[in-house]
Amino acid sequence: MLNLGLTGFFACLILLGLKRPFIWVLCYLYVDIVAPQIISWGFLTQLPTSLIAFSAAFLGWLVFDDKSDSRFTWRQGLMGVLLLYCAITTLRADYPVEALTKWSWVWKALVFAMFLPLTLRTRLRIEAVALVMVLSASALIIDGGLKTAMGGSGYGTLRIFVDNNTGLYEGSIISCVAIALIPVAVWLAKYGTIFPSDWRVWLFTAALIFACSLIPIGTQARTGLVCLGILAGLYLRTAKHRVALSAGMALAVVIATPFLPQSFLARMNTIEDHQSDQSAGTRIGVWKWTMGYAKDHPFGGGFEVYLSSKVAYDTVSTSRTGSNVTITRTPIIETGRAFHSSYFEMLGEQGYPGFALWLLLQISGLVQMEMIRRRWKDRQESHEAWAAPLAVALQLAQVVYMIGSLFVGIAFQPFILMLIGLQCGLWSYLKRIDRPAARQRFAPRPMRVPGEAAG
Amino acid sequence: MVDILALAISHGLLLLAAWRLVWRPDLDSEGPDLNARKRRGPGTPMRVNRAAAGESTGESDGDA
Repeated sequence: MLNLGLTGFFACLILLGLKRPFIWVLCYLYVDIVAPQIISWGFLTQLPTSLIAFSAAFLGWLVFDDKSDSRFTWRQGLMGVLLLYCAITTLRADYPVEALTKWSWVWKALVFAMFLPLTLRTRLRIEAVALVMVLSASALIIDGGLKTAMGGSGYGTLRIFVDNNTGLYEGSIISCVAIALIPVAVWLAKYGTIFPSDWRVWLFTAALIFACSLIPIGTQARTGLVCLGILAGLYLRTAKHRVALSAGMALAVVIATPFLPQSFLARMNTIEDHQSDQSAGTRIGVWKWTMGYAKDHPFGGGFEVYLSSKVAYDTVSTSRTGSNVTITRTPIIETGRAFHSSYFEMLGEQGYPGFALWLLLQISGLVQMEMIRRRWKDRQESHEAWAAPLAVALQLAQVVYMIGSLFVGIAFQPFILMLIGLQCGLWSYLKRIDRPAARQRFAPRPMRVPGEAAG
Repeated sequence: MVDILALAISHGLLLLAAWRLVWRPDLDSEGPDLNARKRRGPGTPMRVNRAAAGESTGESDGDA
């Protein structure tokens, strides 16, 4: 039944694409985010869904779409340079076989992120991409949120559809992405035209935001909690009703705390007391190792180079018996531990040049969105008022991602690269539609001369 | 059961969104002068005509 439903859904999207080829681009977004071939167990698992959707999206654009308004922005070029650089480091990787496995999905994610902005020629297309990204991720978020509310959660034990730890199905990644999506979901509820703003849209958005906030609790990923805190702070910074909003947030925390599982509170306490936590100790150890590795290998060791990492550290735990305090140090040596940070992932795998390229890609996104916000914030007409808030939403999403990236290795997470593609599309679209207005304002006015002369 | 519910809600909305998109003409083209047209109020004559009117009556529309 499930298999039939998912296959039917995929077939519907492909068929609708025959009428409007842009639907195929949306179909690829859906396939890449939800990965229906993982959830399904029959026919769909035999089909190369991702390949079919990408081929349809690319050929649909190449053959049927009007390309006169497509622009190639410099950030797309930057992704191209990063792609080439990664190809070179993969060729001379320390672990060639493992590196090729990661390369096999990284290049697809980068190529799609470069391709996506070329198709975003209209405001509706930009909105459609944002909507499909939110709704696709909502499948995982609603599932995880409901299970958390019903008590089926725990670190590494929250089962979203299937027991799988790849892509968005990994706890830390989905909790970071779920929080990053909140601003985009709010923008869609306010300015959406596919589902125009009404009480049903707001009800769904409120429920989705609640589910998003439950994901860090369900997965017990501390990263998500940090992201949620940062996002709340950023919202308070710009909110009109600051006092009411902060009171509401405080009330939500007070109400929610007694219902949180004990294991969650115990794990969150380790954010402060990280010395007793093995996971935090490993991270700091691996980060030190990475800095040393980058000094010896400034051009990086290729994908999955963390396999050669060796980390030695002590965990310190304190126990009190009456007035006696016992401090126990346990020496731990670990090898082949993952980076647990996108910044160190880039530094170790791609060296200083790759790290600089990636950082430039991220920071330029923040700057571009800020530039759009400043340029468009005073435009109140209905066909322009949506632009600045979308730029702010995409900027907030990226800030959340960059904070989450401090603790999770998601440098090439396809979902985030899609967000970057969306930013490029928005930038290029607004630049294009802004130009006729600018030309009107500054152009010479030969037609007025006879009128003025007569008057 | 929860899985089915989550999939049904999200996929139902996705399908509805795709269906609505198929029937929206502005998905593929917004028209070359969408902005210009929207800025001009309904019934406002074209600039060329206004200039011509100004010429015949000797009036200026003030923003020249």
